[in-house]
Amino acid sequence: MNAGFIGLGIMGRAMSARLIDGGHELYVHSHKPAPKELTDKGARDCRTAREVASHAEVIFTMVPDTPNVEEVLFGENGAASGLSPGKVFVDMSSISPIATKDLAQRVNQLGCEYLDAPVSGGDVGARQGTLTIMVGGSEKAFARVQPLFELMGKSVTLIGGNGDGQIAKIANQIIVALTIEAVGEALLFASKAGADPAKVRQALMGGFAASRILEWHGERIIKRNFEPGGRIELHQKDLNNALTGARALNLSLPNTATCQELFNACAAHGGSAWDHSAMVRALEDLANFEIGSQDRQKGAA
Amino acid sequence: MKIAFIGLGIMGRPMAGHLLDGGHDLYLHDLRPVPQDLLEKGGHACPSNKEAAAQGDVVITMVPDTPDVEAAIFGPDGVAQGLAPGKTVVDMSSISPIATKDFARRINQLGCEYLDAPVSGGEVGAKQATLTIMVGGSEKTFARIKPLFELMGKNITLVGANGDGQTAKVANQIIVALTIEAVGEALLFASKAGADPAMVRKALMGGFASSRILEVHGERMINRTFDPGFRIELHQKDLNLALSGARALKMSLPNTATCQELFNACAAHGGSAWDHSAMVRALEDLANHQIASKERQKGAA
Repeated sequence: MNAGFIGLGIMGRAMSARLIDGGHELYVHSHKPAPKELTDKGARDCRTAREVASHAEVIFTMVPDTPNVEEVLFGENGAASGLSPGKVFVDMSSISPIATKDLAQRVNQLGCEYLDAPVSGGDVGARQGTLTIMVGGSEKAFARVQPLFELMGKSVTLIGGNGDGQIAKIANQIIVALTIEAVGEALLFASKAGADPAKVRQALMGGFAASRILEWHGERIIKRNFEPGGRIELHQKDLNNALTGARALNLSLPNTATCQELFNACAAHGGSAWDHSAMVRALEDLANFEIGSQDRQKGAA
Repeated sequence: MKIAFIGLGIMGRPMAGHLLDGGHDLYLHDLRPVPQDLLEKGGHACPSNKEAAAQGDVVITMVPDTPDVEAAIFGPDGVAQGLAPGKTVVDMSSISPIATKDFARRINQLGCEYLDAPVSGGEVGAKQATLTIMVGGSEKTFARIKPLFELMGKNITLVGANGDGQTAKVANQIIVALTIEAVGEALLFASKAGADPAMVRKALMGGFASSRILEVHGERMINRTFDPGFRIELHQKDLNLALSGARALKMSLPNTATCQELFNACAAHGGSAWDHSAMVRALEDLANHQIASKERQKGAA
């Protein structure tokens, strides 16, 4: 199939490579020249989003935020100007569900289908083709694009109509942030009370408190490994979508609000590019205590 | 082995049953008459804690809260009066880590060993002998009692010294409460934004937001099954241990505090005996919206 991919950052680049490896003809565009690793595989570098859309039958985009998707579609030489009836535009970025419904409507007016299909699983998932993909749109369009999704992800779910994929992604990011915070409070409590946080994490892993976050980020927190991973500034964007959405919907999300404030405190200490598990550092500042510091002192003594 | 078992409620009764099934000689005491099934298995009913402790080489307590443990061990006709040097007291209740250190010291002064060994896994785990057991005490004592723990639980960890088992249990309960809250906010957001929460839960189960809580309690929230399970009033007790501990340790647990307030709001609406997943009802009150699957919404129309 002739496919298009717009946005070739850490995520988009890896996802594009998997589409080419799957045997598809890929037309790509980014604000920088296409990476050599993709052109070597046969990707065709286009000068505009419009050019991509005019060549491809299904056009993917993977860019940072809502205004970037608007720009890709409806900016100068945007994808919309290259679309013709029957094509499918698939936004895999994580953006506002409310804006998504509007973008989908405008694409539908051109006689084209729209899918919102944000992902979870990070750069590792993108490279390995194990992303979780949460899709909003029609069943017909989903069925058409599903073989392509399956090259990029493992867990692919059609949630509902347009916007519902983005809603699921926000729900995902709420849970991830709040569970990081939960693990942070728990390990901080254990450590300041004098217990070994690594032992506590181990004891809890088999029980009802077990989660992927306790497993992966619990370990990061204990080992002080805050290299990203998922950057705090990106998670702040996601929680901002949650909180502005909540305000528009007349909905109170008390712990999401607190977690955003803790991310803000990290950013104030130079942590915008820390891994999101470093949210615990804001809790440690409040406690005037660093997890594991007693054990490290013992080790150093 | 001769074992005294004190406290034969929902948890203690099946745990004592497993010890009897394992071929041990049990000396039983409770404020209420000893359950018939335990007597039929060969358990001996004792008139007081003192009497039971005088018979057993190991004394296990499983009672509701810190004052109950204190009364059982150090009260009139208590365990302490029946102890002789070389015996071991194992408190499997979930109580204060700070009080535990004091109890352990007082038991040690009698020439006896002390283990704190609180459990997680609830009534189901107690019945199926699949409890998670978090132990604080010496390695030697732990090794001696471990065969008994293995009759009652599956995931058994020596976390550290006396009090550390209770600290791990508090950490467990912090994570469980805060993850229930996280799942509640996420599903409520999805539902009020118009997506089907059942589909969102399903999509998220494969990814980084997945947890036992999303699996079990996420389903309870969607299906509205708030029969306990684990009662809100018991989780309030655990979070009280966390928050009073945090105050004593000089540390800030912002989301634990919010979750306790949400439990308090449930209690104000008659929910002390609801399952702890019903914490979402307090969020639903704030949102003036109830989580419901699309199917249920249609069914009601």
